[in-house]
Amino acid sequence: MNNHYHPTGHRDAKTYAGDQPWPQWPGVPSGLSSSSGLLQNRYYAAAGPFPLLPYLGELGAGPDTAMNQAKRQRAEVSYQQPRPYPTGRGTGSMGYQSKVRVTDKYKVVGFISSGTYGRVYKALGRHGQPGEFAIKKFKPDKEGEQASYTGISQSAVREMALCSELHHPNVIRLVEIILEDKCIFMVFEYAEHDLLQIIHHHTQQPRHPIPPSTIKSIMFQLLNGCQYLHTNWVLHRDLKPANIMVTSSGEVKIGDLGLARLSYKPLHSLYGGDKVVVTIWYRAPELLLGSRHYTPAIDMWALGCIFAELLSLRPIFKGEEAKMDSKKTVPFQRNQMQKIVDIMGLPTKERWPLLTSTTEYSQLSTLQPPIHHGGHHHGHHYQSQRQAAAANAGVSHLEKWYYNTINQQTGGSGPGSGTSPLASLGAEGYKLLAGLLEYDPQRRLTAAAALQHPFFSTGDPVSANCFEGLKTEYPHRRVSQDDNDIRTSSLPGTKRSGLPDDSLRPGKRVKEG
Amino acid sequence: MAANYWESTQRKHWQFTKQDLAAIRQRLDDEDPGLVQMFPLPQLRHLNIYFNQQINRLSKRIGLRQQVMATAQVYLKRFYTRIAIRQTNPYLVLTTVLYLACKMEECPQHIRMMTQEARSLWPSDLHGHDPARVGECEFSLISEMHSNLIIHQPYRSLLGVQDEFGLTQEEMSLAWTVINDHYMTDLPLLHPPHVVALTAVLLALVLRPSANTPAAGGAGGNAGAAAAAAAAGAGGVAMAATALAQAQAQVQARAAAIAAAGGGGGTPGFGSQGSQPQAGFSQGNSQGSLQGDSAAAEPKKVTDPRLAKVQRFAAWLADSNIDIEAMVDCTQELISFYECHEQYNDKHTKEQISRFIKARNLDK
Repeated sequence: MNNHYHPTGHRDAKTYAGDQPWPQWPGVPSGLSSSSGLLQNRYYAAAGPFPLLPYLGELGAGPDTAMNQAKRQRAEVSYQQPRPYPTGRGTGSMGYQSKVRVTDKYKVVGFISSGTYGRVYKALGRHGQPGEFAIKKFKPDKEGEQASYTGISQSAVREMALCSELHHPNVIRLVEIILEDKCIFMVFEYAEHDLLQIIHHHTQQPRHPIPPSTIKSIMFQLLNGCQYLHTNWVLHRDLKPANIMVTSSGEVKIGDLGLARLSYKPLHSLYGGDKVVVTIWYRAPELLLGSRHYTPAIDMWALGCIFAELLSLRPIFKGEEAKMDSKKTVPFQRNQMQKIVDIMGLPTKERWPLLTSTTEYSQLSTLQPPIHHGGHHHGHHYQSQRQAAAANAGVSHLEKWYYNTINQQTGGSGPGSGTSPLASLGAEGYKLLAGLLEYDPQRRLTAAAALQHPFFSTGDPVSANCFEGLKTEYPHRRVSQDDNDIRTSSLPGTKRSGLPDDSLRPGKRVKEG
Repeated sequence: MAANYWESTQRKHWQFTKQDLAAIRQRLDDEDPGLVQMFPLPQLRHLNIYFNQQINRLSKRIGLRQQVMATAQVYLKRFYTRIAIRQTNPYLVLTTVLYLACKMEECPQHIRMMTQEARSLWPSDLHGHDPARVGECEFSLISEMHSNLIIHQPYRSLLGVQDEFGLTQEEMSLAWTVINDHYMTDLPLLHPPHVVALTAVLLALVLRPSANTPAAGGAGGNAGAAAAAAAAGAGGVAMAATALAQAQAQVQARAAAIAAAGGGGGTPGFGSQGSQPQAGFSQGNSQGSLQGDSAAAEPKKVTDPRLAKVQRFAAWLADSNIDIEAMVDCTQELISFYECHEQYNDKHTKEQISRFIKARNLDK
């Protein structure tokens, strides 16, 4: 923002006192208003001048008799004492009372999950509201002790504000927000599935790939929702399978806008506020390298990661997060960056011109160049191969990764089955993936461009229902009955009941290698 | 929609007509007529001046920017369309709108610090208040606003048209202050931000302080220095009026041409009013004559670059789909506000507010 236009108020109290003209404005002759239609003020004219006789209305506008004077004196006395009026709604000592009570309006049928923000419950409407609901309850800041108002967290404020503005078939729909008993209840439309759950289902034995038509539909809907967010200057900043909801009719809904924010002309650089953004596996390389000016492209990288995960059923760049040190400085996420480099090759100035201006640029030279062999990278023998690898440091193995993945015999459809069903995604699938996982954020596909990608116009038409043509139904979201009392319970830390949390996922994958 | 005013909750839920607003406020008053009579308050614009000042003071202590203050003031206006002011402690509400606006404008402040600063600023009106009260008031605020917290401000629109009209730094900062001032009126509840921004541009173009542009501003001819300033103001007002009338006439002429049948297009009510007051001002008159020819596009011999700019602006308006009626109304509101500001009495306003706070124990 241009500071020049930020006078913190261009006049001070002294000039307001009325004995001086406006410092910047020529005085407008007072005679003007009566002679000019321009200056006539229709509305305020009705408001009238100062109420000179404040109690006249109450006492009747009769002649100023002695009796009226006496009444007026009484009235003057009476306002010195507290009157029997109820004190202010919401702001008086009686306290804030919600006009709507969650439990009057919704019947909670079970507990879905919990996170750092609070808990999510499944609910039905008590007054015939159609459909099912997911009620997200933000826990009060301080658990345990007698809860008092401590101010709503910025992320809750953001999510409330953004969700009440956003309306799109591929963004989770907010039904209402109820503020009650020092808690925030955000009522959303209910979605039976999420991508994490769907991916998980396919990894269950027998492991079987997600049908290509489903992947195509999911990606299209995701991009569509993302385009909507981006054209409205909303960055989601935390796209990952667990945050992507899917309804039982196959509609994909981007959820959890807790980290989302508006990107236009922020008062502080987007980097400044909360430094760590996006679950590390889906974090874009420019963020890992400490870029300060990031863009909607970070969401597009995350979508690339999700696309890859839909294909392979495991996170493509599954790094380990380096924790903040005691000085609270954010460390360079070496392990995560290495995972990206292993597949994508080292980023180069040629592929990414602004690379050298990232703050962690120097760290790149400490990473191992990718080792060129077909299987999974173990990193033990790199010394011997280092020289040979260095020559190819910038070469991407993504294409190889892609074809290995889509042609993989997963065994899901039984022994002797023909080519992998994913093979039908073909070369366009690779091009879309490569466009999303482009190192240079400026050259990375935008949501709008990705929607125009031939991947969606070749082959079978994209369905608006990602489950179209599927014979099997995905298991429903598990809803636990342990904790149905939405109003009282605020136990933190209970993990998602139906599925393992992201952090618990690696264990499952070991045996599949 | 977050970045699209046309799809926003601001447009859908928080843009009123004057009649709406009057009715809403009447309803609030009618909830408790006794209270209203017992505790008279200055007219709303004077209250708004006072609130604006107080928000400025608190913001300065914390070092907040204009954008935050602007958002806070819109929250305040929205809240007081839902809750009668005498039901509240305005100082608590002021603190809370600012606290919430900070979070929305991405410069969060700690609730304890906010409360502390507010209490030391208004010790006698907030002495019984702790952060929990601000937190509670925040619930009420968000609830009454239905979580519609994203505010579209005219500042962005102004920056957007800066190049379009080739606005100088001086014109920009004047337009900027006009926008700052409009938060003391009902305009944020009445008109879209771009209409306010364009009105601010128009006023900046015509009401430039005469001291800085002696040639253009010296409309008052042989009047004294003070009168000259006033004359420049009035001449400017007239110029604004004629510019709008001109744009309107052009639009109407075009509409008439298209409609062919001609629905009495040539008489904009505003134009005739606008031409009245500038009897003494040559500029106003020369501009006023423009409104006869409905084509501003035809080149005129304009020696004053300021006039040329105003004319270009008017022509642009005519070509756009801007609601010129709304701009006329904005101009009226602003001019009327500047006038009404002269009667503003700080002490009186403060006292009247404190009276109901104390009497109703809202400070406890």
